[in-house]
Amino acid sequence: MNMKTLVQRFVAVLGILAVLGIVGISVTPAAQAQQINPTAQSVTEESLFEALQDDQMVEGRVSIPDGLSSGLIKPGNPSWASTHTGLVRNLSIAAVVGAIVVLTLFYMIRGKIMVDGKMSGIRILRFTAIERFAHWLMAGSFIILALTGLNLVVGRTMILPWLGEGAFSTITIWGKIAHNYVGWAFMLGLTLSFLVWVAHNIPNKVDAEWVAQGGGLLKKGVHPPARKFNAGQKVIFWLTTLGGAALSFTGFMLLFPIVAGTQADWQFYQLIHGIVAAGLSFVIIAHIYIGSIGMEGAFDAMGTGEVDLNWAKEHHSLWVEEVQGKAKSGDSSARGTQPAE
Amino acid sequence: MLVKRRSKDATRSGLAAFAQNVTAKPIDRRSFLRTSGLAVGGLAAFGAVGATTVRRAEAGMVDFSQPVEVKTNICTHCSVGCTVKAEVQNGVWVGQEPAWDSPINRGTHCAKGASVRELVHGDRRLKYPMKKENGEWVRISWDQAIDEIGDKMLDIREKNGADSAYLLGSAKFSNEGAYLFRKFAAFWGTNNVDHQARICHSTTVAGVANTWGYGAMTNSYNDIRNSKTIIFMGSNAAEAHPVSLQHILAGKETNRANVIVIDPRFTRTAAHATDYIRMRPGTDIAIIWGIMWHIFENNWQDQEYIDQRVWGMDQIREAVKAYPPEVVERISGISGPELRRVAETFATQGPATFIWCMGGTQHTVGTANVRTYCNLLLATGNVGSNGSGANIFRGHCNVQGATDFGLDIGSLPCYYGLAEGGWRHWSRVWDVSYDYLQSRFDEVPAKGGRDARDRKANMEMAGIPSTRWFDAATLDAEDVDQRDNIKAMIVFGHGGNTVPRMGDSLKGMNALDLLVVADPHPTTFAALHDRPDNTYLLPISTQFECAGSRTASNRSVQWGEKVVDPIFESDNDYAVIYRLSQKLGFADEMFKPYEMVQGKFSMEPTPESILREINRGGWSTGYTGQSPERIKAHMANQDKFDLVTLRAPADAEDVGGDYYGLPWPCWGTPEFKHPGTHILYNPNLPVKDGGGAFRPRFGVDREGETLLAEGSFPVGSEITDGYPQFTYGILQTLGWDADLTADELATIQRIGNNDPEAMANVSWSLDLSGGIQRVAIEHGCVPFGNGKARAVAWNLPDPIPVHREPIYSPRPDLVAEYPTREDGRQFRVPNIGYSIQASAVERNLSVSFPIVLTSGRLVEYEGGGEETRSNPWLAELQQDMFVEINPADASARGITDGGWVWVNGPENDSKARVKALVTERVAPGVAFMPFHFAGWFQGEDQRGNYPAGTDPIVLGESVNTVTSYGYDPVTGMHEGKVTLCQISAA
Amino acid sequence: MARMKFLCDADRCIECNACVTACKNEHEVPWGINRRRVVTINDGLPGERSVSMACMHCTDAPCAAVCPVDCFYTTDDAVVLHSKDTCIGCGYCFYACPFGAPQYPKVGNFGTRGKMDKCTYCAGGPEADMTEAEYVKYGSNRLAEGKLPLCAEMCSTKSLLAGDGDIIAEIYKERVVTRGYGSGAWGWRTAYGDTVTV
Repeated sequence: MNMKTLVQRFVAVLGILAVLGIVGISVTPAAQAQQINPTAQSVTEESLFEALQDDQMVEGRVSIPDGLSSGLIKPGNPSWASTHTGLVRNLSIAAVVGAIVVLTLFYMIRGKIMVDGKMSGIRILRFTAIERFAHWLMAGSFIILALTGLNLVVGRTMILPWLGEGAFSTITIWGKIAHNYVGWAFMLGLTLSFLVWVAHNIPNKVDAEWVAQGGGLLKKGVHPPARKFNAGQKVIFWLTTLGGAALSFTGFMLLFPIVAGTQADWQFYQLIHGIVAAGLSFVIIAHIYIGSIGMEGAFDAMGTGEVDLNWAKEHHSLWVEEVQGKAKSGDSSARGTQPAE
Repeated sequence: MLVKRRSKDATRSGLAAFAQNVTAKPIDRRSFLRTSGLAVGGLAAFGAVGATTVRRAEAGMVDFSQPVEVKTNICTHCSVGCTVKAEVQNGVWVGQEPAWDSPINRGTHCAKGASVRELVHGDRRLKYPMKKENGEWVRISWDQAIDEIGDKMLDIREKNGADSAYLLGSAKFSNEGAYLFRKFAAFWGTNNVDHQARICHSTTVAGVANTWGYGAMTNSYNDIRNSKTIIFMGSNAAEAHPVSLQHILAGKETNRANVIVIDPRFTRTAAHATDYIRMRPGTDIAIIWGIMWHIFENNWQDQEYIDQRVWGMDQIREAVKAYPPEVVERISGISGPELRRVAETFATQGPATFIWCMGGTQHTVGTANVRTYCNLLLATGNVGSNGSGANIFRGHCNVQGATDFGLDIGSLPCYYGLAEGGWRHWSRVWDVSYDYLQSRFDEVPAKGGRDARDRKANMEMAGIPSTRWFDAATLDAEDVDQRDNIKAMIVFGHGGNTVPRMGDSLKGMNALDLLVVADPHPTTFAALHDRPDNTYLLPISTQFECAGSRTASNRSVQWGEKVVDPIFESDNDYAVIYRLSQKLGFADEMFKPYEMVQGKFSMEPTPESILREINRGGWSTGYTGQSPERIKAHMANQDKFDLVTLRAPADAEDVGGDYYGLPWPCWGTPEFKHPGTHILYNPNLPVKDGGGAFRPRFGVDREGETLLAEGSFPVGSEITDGYPQFTYGILQTLGWDADLTADELATIQRIGNNDPEAMANVSWSLDLSGGIQRVAIEHGCVPFGNGKARAVAWNLPDPIPVHREPIYSPRPDLVAEYPTREDGRQFRVPNIGYSIQASAVERNLSVSFPIVLTSGRLVEYEGGGEETRSNPWLAELQQDMFVEINPADASARGITDGGWVWVNGPENDSKARVKALVTERVAPGVAFMPFHFAGWFQGEDQRGNYPAGTDPIVLGESVNTVTSYGYDPVTGMHEGKVTLCQISAA
Repeated sequence: MARMKFLCDADRCIECNACVTACKNEHEVPWGINRRRVVTINDGLPGERSVSMACMHCTDAPCAAVCPVDCFYTTDDAVVLHSKDTCIGCGYCFYACPFGAPQYPKVGNFGTRGKMDKCTYCAGGPEADMTEAEYVKYGSNRLAEGKLPLCAEMCSTKSLLAGDGDIIAEIYKERVVTRGYGSGAWGWRTAYGDTVTV
């Protein structure tokens, strides 16, 4: 199943109407003929299948109010199933395993990125309580969502054999409940993060320089200038924002199938949800790495909210200048940047 | 071998069990009973919120550690007569299994039959007797109910007369119940006794009986397997008689048969046709005459058959010249070549059968329609042989039996007329004096310019049809030709939404002094009106809660065993009729022939003893050979009967040589062992093997021509020509009287009072010994004679049918040429159809109401629908009343599929709020509504009018709110298939 | 071992819904759950055909493939069953099913569908055969009694066939040869990867 067909799902309803229209038209000329022979003019499965486009279904009328039940045969559904058990499952595994492998290699090659100079002992406030709350709300919920979501995709092959069916079912039920509720926390965290950081994440010329120097990640002692967020962080911000938004939207739709529309829509949302989740997991694992064991002093920013001045000068020189400049000019609006002098 | 490998283990423990408790309620018996109880609390509870995955184990689970009793009964819905196998444990009907051995249904059912088990679990059943007190339903005891109803009836009898109580019976009765109810009316002293046949096939019975003798399906569902050409006209058997399609489709496939459907709607039956022809509703006569025009034009008729067995076909041949192709196309919309094709196929590719239902019968010209169908069959020689015939699919499970036993305003049981001879016959059978019966009837004073009637004349005058009871309740007393208006309706098992003009019916209900509804469900009769008092509901059990026989459409009589005891406080018809008779003071006379046993609340007659009485009196129709023992033997030996011939091999034990269900006529006494008659009027068999001939009922000659058959006679007949009916006198003439036994002769002497002249007139139908029948048959003769069918029925209005426009015609241009019949009086009330038709034309109603409205059945529901709409398994499948409307009409009105619309009728500003079903199933200018809905009236939801907990799950507008005036002059059948309407988005 | 299949001969199906109510009757299926339904194609037009549809008990059933908790299993008769104890009500099987077979007690938002319910081919579930525990969760177990699914047994026109795939295919073929037409073994291509060719 490719993206083109996925897009087609959005117009699947129109497509079905078109197919029925074609069938209807094929009947009409005969209806005008002398003898109406309903037996001879009977539709056949074969003719309907031939007229059927990708991802459409053979559909009719039922008297029960359940609109979903009017679909008779949806031959494309098994291909969703194979995409789900193939592409989505493989991507998810690849994302997690791949991230770990890549970061391990990176660690082995580059090691922990240390502060070049010594720690100054001077702490400056990098993230306010609100910022940290937003981050950790998002981060915490994401981890739960990622684990419970991943469980739905790969748990059956990787966990079930260990736990047995009953216990696995139980944790999966709890996981499902958690996933459905924690999703709201994630959406809140995502929204807050976006609001508090979006202004700092508009790309600018400084980012080009930062990228040109590889962010200083690859070589020791190289520290391209950066404001509050460097280009790498901006990428993570935007990936998280967009990916998170996609996850939120598709997740919402999956939670409210009646709002979402038809089965084809659900499949589409589910597929997007799975693929984006896999991709974002990769990004987030990398982010976790660099924010923790990958870089000396980085964790503090989200831990206590305060970072060492030298760390800040190395990684966010322009930001430090901004903050200190503002402080010297007595701009009281430069909040939370009281150097510990 | 069926082995289930279990890779799954259902047991769980620890963490898993803990989660189970949280995520899914633990399923113990008590909690799921509670949940399922909740689920039937209201319609809302059936929706998304209250549904559970658990089911009612106590009601539907077979406990395999306990013995299972299997009871055999018959489906209580349509007339096909499907056998139902019920598994019973501890008095609870726990499972329904396929009845593989039944030659009729071979294990199968339709949606209704497959869900009958629910009927005796019915949460929505009427649970105890109730009455309305100051507008509120209150529970009362049976004793109180019978007492109060009886007192009020006696009061009305005193003040207004016996005819002021209308006894509306039911096609849901067993044969014994129907017979008992007719007898009850006789003992009460009125002919105002009717049932559903009035509104489904009364015109068929009249038309067919007037053509060739008996008012019934000539062949059987099974026999259609032999047909090469099958016409359905005004029949949607796929929805109305689904199991019959098993035989029809099998025949279609093996014979590569032509299946021609002529219908205004492209029905589900039409979907399986080989030729579908759309017609304008109400133009049957023009179409059939148009077909016969082609037949005579091309000499396709079966002239030898006509010469031997039909009288008057020459007159028909002349008459159809007035219906050449262009005239027929102008009337019906069907082109000449199409009809020519039908004519050629039907006439030349035999055997051919013609099937009709209410599309043909429910018209002001219903009887005339039927007679044209008969003429088509006669002209092509298609009556009285395998694979041919008038296959009239009847409606209810025992509408044939109830018709046979005279739940009819114009006849006594087994079609004995209301004339003195008929009454005297039954008074002999009932062992009461004729004078006593006569004394029960009213004297009618002279009024409205009409002469007075004495008791005898009133006893012999047909009553008021069920389609007109409300007119008889609300018209000026001068206009009602009996002592007084209708003051009491005693309704056993009949819906109130199945006849047109519900607005007028509502007025009729409000005008009554007493309304009694005896039914498993409170019908529209209980809910439509706003009567504050004097309204009683009696909970009657279904036929699954009592024993008795019922007659399927093909005349086969089948015995139903009681499956379970009557549920709640309901009781069976036999007991309730007995208790009412007791209260009214004639039980001792009426019930003396019966074996009485202790029932649920009172004594009651056994159905076996009632059937034996029927056997003693039903000579005219051959209801004499079907003893309880023989019928029960048939039920026990269903596997012995052939699928196509319905006959058991000669050597089969107990049932050897019999046709399944001993289809009437089953001549002579049970000991005579007549096998029944699978195919009526069939001369290709000896009479003793089920052969026969047309019945000469209308004399022996007419206009100088014989009415007796010429050169046609049943195989083995000693008289090789036509002959009149057998009497003792004829036996004497033939010298066959010596064959009578001494006992038989003694009986004839008794009936003839030992007067030689009177004895000579004792006929095959009055001879209580069966001797005359026996002797005639032993000489190879048909007891009723060997006559010709009548192509022209000179005793009926329009002896040769002519096309007549419906009262509300969409074609005012044709009304002038083909008007309905003149106004007149029929059945004690006026029929002013002509005036109404003229007024409709004058007022240009076809412009303001431009859409023809027709009606019909849905497979999920039955009749008025109260029972089936109360069954959740069925109700779920059709949750909204709807109108089918063509896309062109819909888009012109801004109507969308599934949207709400108003359907406005042409009379009394009537209107109905229903959902639109936009479909090409109906032609532009035609709309269709099913007739099973009730409980809404002109936009108002009347759910609150039902006693709490007895409201059907699904309610909706009745089509008959918007249907209109129009009555067949022969039977009082209503016009249910053509009226005009306007439809607008709501 | 038999390979159980359903085959709806649409040229015999008259949409009488006996299969639907027989199923409701046999298993006391609650309101709103439709283990079987009849869909009419080209409704009201010449060429109209109705098809009775339920779980087709597919070969390599896609529902089983996508189930996150692996609650499906296939019996030796090739009947696809599931365990309601294991089911988490996620709805993936409904996404995967080409026939709309999986049903849920609620058309639930917020993941409140409840445990999935579907046609069991009248073969119950993982509990011991013909027990109350099995009945309450899955309905009765006719296969264990040596009977076939009631929907097919009660089909008014013998349109819906149930039994060993080879046998019912043979019956269908014979019919098509006799009558000269056939609209196909609906769903067979999708469920079993082949169809009945005549």
